[in-house]
Amino acid sequence: MCATCGCSGHGSGTQIQFFVTGYDGDNAKIIEEKLLGLAGVLHVHIHAHDGETTINYDPAKTRLSEITAVFEQKGLQAAI
Amino acid sequence: MEVPVMENILGSNDKQALQNKEIFDRNGIFVLNLIGSPGSGKTSLLEKTIVSLKNSLKMAVIEGDLFTNKDADRIAGCNVPVIQINTSGGCHLDAMMIKNVIGKLNLAQLDLIIIENVGNLVCPAEFNIGEDNKAVVLSITEGDDKPLKYPLIFKEAATAVLNKIDILSFTNFDMKAARHDITCLNPAVNIIETSCRTDIGIDKWTEWLKNAVQIKQKRINER
Ligand SMILES: Nc1nc2c(ncn2[C@@H]2O[C@H](COP(=O)(O)OP(=O)(O)OP(=O)(O)O)[C@@H](O)[C@H]2O)c(=O)[nH]1
Ligand SMILES: [Mg+2]
Repeated sequence: MCATCGCSGHGSGTQIQFFVTGYDGDNAKIIEEKLLGLAGVLHVHIHAHDGETTINYDPAKTRLSEITAVFEQKGLQAAI
Repeated sequence: MEVPVMENILGSNDKQALQNKEIFDRNGIFVLNLIGSPGSGKTSLLEKTIVSLKNSLKMAVIEGDLFTNKDADRIAGCNVPVIQINTSGGCHLDAMMIKNVIGKLNLAQLDLIIIENVGNLVCPAEFNIGEDNKAVVLSITEGDDKPLKYPLIFKEAATAVLNKIDILSFTNFDMKAARHDITCLNPAVNIIETSCRTDIGIDKWTEWLKNAVQIKQKRINER
């Protein structure tokens, strides 16, 4: 939703934060791009050094399990 | 077991958008919702599209602007039916606005309606208006960072037009980075580089559009 005009759009959904163990320089970028490719994921912000991963997504388009599957496929552990 | 009936599962805009789409489907019309920032080149692209497709497709245009008939006047100059919607400050078109004007068009006679949304990369992406596809126009003068900063429209669009490439060399727009980010957001998207000044890429754009119209009409005829 346009925050300044107050128009009644659906909004950009939910923000969720994970703490992920196992990031290195390369796989953080790969995870970010894979997450962005999910239909409902709008924004991904990863702090690779401490694993803090913030994701804005629309739960109507992408299930939480699809997001966690991305971490699992790369052998990373994500805790909420 | 009792199955709960989920009323209001769609918002009222989505319900109206579905009704609009049914009307368009019944008439075999492909509808494109054209979205982009102010000045990205939506009306210019429309003018080029009309010149290229007017003889092969029967088309009409709906123009959305906050105020003025300036864009509708430009389209009227191309001799296709055009309706101007003024939102009086509203930042996007919604499905009811479209419903209120489509009766003015001779729908049975049309193959294609292009709706130029209000110049805005944010809100129009959130409102379906009954379209088959959305397309986004990004001017390269806006910067290659825009897809990741305004992701929803790039996710929703079937085609992303990167316009004004005639002046690419005067900007710091990184085409490779922009293409990469758009494809990350939407792996299925079709990206077309255009210039409405020199006509580069306009053939690719009109080919995509013509193809989309044909696919829809074939699907409807097979029903
Ligand atoms: N150099 C160059 N200029 C362009 C191109 N396309 C459009 N323009 C210019 O950009 C300006 C804005 O173009 P419009 O087509 O009016 O843009 P718009 O997206 O319809 O703008 P709004 O309806 O106000 O949101 C005009 O001065 C056009 O001549 C292009 O490919 N190259
Ligand atoms: Mg315009």
